[in-house]
Amino acid sequence: MTHDLVVKALSEGRFKLLDHEAYQLLEAYGIPTPGYRVVSNYEEAIKAANEVGYPVAIKVISPDIMHKTDVGGVALNISSDDEVKRACQEVSSNVKRLAPYARVFGYLVQHMVQGGLEVIVGGLRDSIFGTVVLFGMGGVLTELYRDTSMRIAPITEDDALSMVKETKAYQLIIGYRGMPRRDIYSLVDIMVKFSRLIVDNPQISEADLNPVIMLENGKGSYVVDARFMLKPRN
Amino acid sequence: MATEVLRGESGLRGNNIDELFHPSSVAVVGATPKQGHVGYVIMVNLLGKFKGKVFLVNPRYDSINGVKCYKGLTDVDDEVDLAVIAVPAPVVPQVVADAVKKGVKALIIISGGFSEVGDEGRRLEDEVRSIIKDSKVRVLGPNCIGVYNAENGLDTFFLPEDRMGRPPKGPIALISQSGAVAAAILDWASRRKLGIGLAVNYGNKIDVSESELLEYFAGNPNVKVITIYMEGLKYPGEGLRFLETARKVAQVKPVIVYKAGRTKASVHAVASHTAALAGDYEIYRGAFRQAGLIEANSVREMFDLAKALATQPLPRGKRVLVLTDSGGMGIQAVDTLSTLGLEVPELPETMQTMLRKYLPPLAIVRNPVDVTGSATDEYYKIVLDSILPTSYVDMALIVALMQIPGLTPNLVNYIIDAKRYGKPMVVVSFGGSALMEKFNDALENSGIPVYATPDRGARALWALVEYSRIRKMLREEVE
Repeated sequence: MTHDLVVKALSEGRFKLLDHEAYQLLEAYGIPTPGYRVVSNYEEAIKAANEVGYPVAIKVISPDIMHKTDVGGVALNISSDDEVKRACQEVSSNVKRLAPYARVFGYLVQHMVQGGLEVIVGGLRDSIFGTVVLFGMGGVLTELYRDTSMRIAPITEDDALSMVKETKAYQLIIGYRGMPRRDIYSLVDIMVKFSRLIVDNPQISEADLNPVIMLENGKGSYVVDARFMLKPRN
Repeated sequence: MATEVLRGESGLRGNNIDELFHPSSVAVVGATPKQGHVGYVIMVNLLGKFKGKVFLVNPRYDSINGVKCYKGLTDVDDEVDLAVIAVPAPVVPQVVADAVKKGVKALIIISGGFSEVGDEGRRLEDEVRSIIKDSKVRVLGPNCIGVYNAENGLDTFFLPEDRMGRPPKGPIALISQSGAVAAAILDWASRRKLGIGLAVNYGNKIDVSESELLEYFAGNPNVKVITIYMEGLKYPGEGLRFLETARKVAQVKPVIVYKAGRTKASVHAVASHTAALAGDYEIYRGAFRQAGLIEANSVREMFDLAKALATQPLPRGKRVLVLTDSGGMGIQAVDTLSTLGLEVPELPETMQTMLRKYLPPLAIVRNPVDVTGSATDEYYKIVLDSILPTSYVDMALIVALMQIPGLTPNLVNYIIDAKRYGKPMVVVSFGGSALMEKFNDALENSGIPVYATPDRGARALWALVEYSRIRKMLREEVE
């Protein structure tokens, strides 16, 4: 059941999927992600940016860098060809300076989804209950408010819906104080598919879809960033 | 953390644990004439109350208090369904081996001194595991307080009656991870005449688990509500079995759980945001919701809810008639009801007009219906009979403060009479007089739950609405 991408990463001694691998895994389960390309230089990056559509984000792809922002490996809100060129050069020189030993496999150029509500969907393994799925409010205050809910995977659509409803984030999702109502069914769909993904791939020890950006009702939701931690199973 | 899976999970044993609760014969291994000893209290309780044969076993005596005493289990010249073992831990493996040889069907190992005390105890526990491995005997414990069954007088709670009262027969079953908590609950319940007819504590759980007990109580027609006091599950992967069992059971009867140990810091390695957010208790809470269990926030609340679920029909909707002789109590009830998502709808104009005709001018008839300090029994009757049977409300919360001179114990009859409308009712009665106590007892004896404060009564109604939702949800999934 384990996906080839997971097998490959582990066989190469990696314990975290690379960004584009994470997106490919999500796509294999029908989970929507914003358009992206993997490129190796700024010329390719400009072409990619025009294909996926501005604005874009540019991120370094390296198995040796845990926190890309810490080494200046991410550039956001890029909206022209010139900016792409400059961002590529900056990211490249930042990484060379701050993480000189890191292998660089290339750059990810990704369309940036505008103006949505950020939530988090996650998964972890518990020795007693097995696979646990988590839903919560996104953003920097998530850990402070602990506005989360959990269920044991795999979850049904009803489970997912009740997980969302039992958090305060639900008030934001249905449109708090004149804010637009968000596309809750696309979120439920992501949660159900994600729960199947982590049940199918027991080598994934923890996973965050953070953030999932929820657009207005009828426009869907996108997983903008995903982190899959791996652990070989004997 | 134990590495072995539960023995009961192997499927080898079927799920026959009935002998733990309904044996025809019980042997007390470790019976003794020494007062105050565990074996003594169990012996006295069983000889005095158990409706079945009782055999005493102790190699040191030929008879105890005039009752024949056998040297060992294998010497008993009759069938033994259940052996209750209260001997020092080092002797337990030998007794268990005898029990297997004798063909005893079930064991309750009361003795402590096993894995809970360290390595030597763990070794003894493993020894017991290996002795029972290939037999059909079912084992509760070790290190447990065992079983209380009010119906047949099977009582292995080794606390004397003057220290721990025994509750009357009744529709509530208790599964407790803690022996001391179980004993305290039974004592408390006996004073309140709360019908916890069956109680069990499973101790170190080498064989029979809470999942099996839950399944067993689900099949017991005398049990209407199952309550669980839990600190935490023990074996890897056991949570899934518990979740699946609980889901099945919750379709059939309400299960209320109180989980203690909520604040323990997360034990998960934290490499992701998700793991940082997932505390142990949060996972349990999620699993409980998924399983359709009703979660209580304290032992007291667990039985507040159990009382209502054991006696009241399920409501069709969420609308509550609040009938009160105190505006203040009515407001408190509405506060809690609305916080919990229940509704207190204003009565339609026609109903209000009709009520005004019969009630004193100062009465408030919108809902809450406030019959005021000049209330009489008749006012309650008028409101109950004219509003409860209508489709405007699904249930009633009745506040009757007996400090008001116009109320008499006869009000009980009016409230009981309203049971015929087939809608849930709870009564809030608060005070300290003997009259009030009599009033409360009379209601509870007729199956109307009484609570001291409006928030507790409101929460009991919420439990009925919640269970009605859960049952509908689980049954729809099955179809």
